[in-house]
Amino acid sequence: MNPLKDLFDDERKRVFLPGPSFTERVLARLNERRLRETGIWDIVPGSTRPVFAVALTLILCFFIVQLMVPLAPQRGMIEASLEAEQSPAESFLYNETEVPSREVMEQLIALEDQQ
Amino acid sequence: MEFDRELIVRAQAGDRSAYEAIVNQFSAMVFRLISRFFRSREDVEDLAQDVFLKVFARIDQIRPDENFPGWLSRVTINTCYDELRKTRRRKTAMETYGPELTAEKSVAPTEPDTLGKARLALQGLDPKLRIPLVLKEVEELSVEEIARTMGLTQTNVKVRLFRARKKLASILGSRGKQK
Repeated sequence: MNPLKDLFDDERKRVFLPGPSFTERVLARLNERRLRETGIWDIVPGSTRPVFAVALTLILCFFIVQLMVPLAPQRGMIEASLEAEQSPAESFLYNETEVPSREVMEQLIALEDQQ
Repeated sequence: MEFDRELIVRAQAGDRSAYEAIVNQFSAMVFRLISRFFRSREDVEDLAQDVFLKVFARIDQIRPDENFPGWLSRVTINTCYDELRKTRRRKTAMETYGPELTAEKSVAPTEPDTLGKARLALQGLDPKLRIPLVLKEVEELSVEEIARTMGLTQTNVKVRLFRARKKLASILGSRGKQK
């Protein structure tokens, strides 16, 4: 007597069959899984999806533009370094584009002379 | 096995009745295959459910001209293999790190008969060896069919079958000597 042959014969006889509600249980688990797997996109109702998509795209574009456009400084490097040392007279000389009036010029010269 | 390929197309389109038809048509086959490796009805049913969930999750990957029953058998065997490996790892971990059952040791266990010993030896085999052996000896599949189902070469299947038989003979031989 071969024990392995007997075992294999015995194993061949042992078969479980699906119960009557097996299919329903599989489908119920399938539905459960689908509900769990639905993401934020599936929560948004179908009718509002295009609006939602456009809004998302616009927000994304705004951030991309913000990232890509370089920050322009309000003033140049030289201006910034000189500013602390500039006297009102120097400020007129270097920064003001308009010529000061005669009275102001005289005041400035007087100030220079005093120094 | 006769199979309506239209079912796959309908299932891929999300038709619920097609899912139902697939489960109805193939559940017996899946149950039979899993029964070869698991002895409790609950385990068999749980695994069969897992198999169908996996199949439906990947239903888009199946071509309508593909051999669906063969593909389903492969998913079933792979699921069994994963579960057997998990069970084996848990068992090893329990034996290594689990509490010592001193109280139970004092009670002499009933000696299994010859069939029981052979069954224990088969269950103790590595799933890599056990699955091809069971498919060959119990399911009576050919080497070619086993290779296709397990995704192995025919040579690899033959090597595994040879090792499985040798290992079983050695386990049964050593147990016989111990007695």
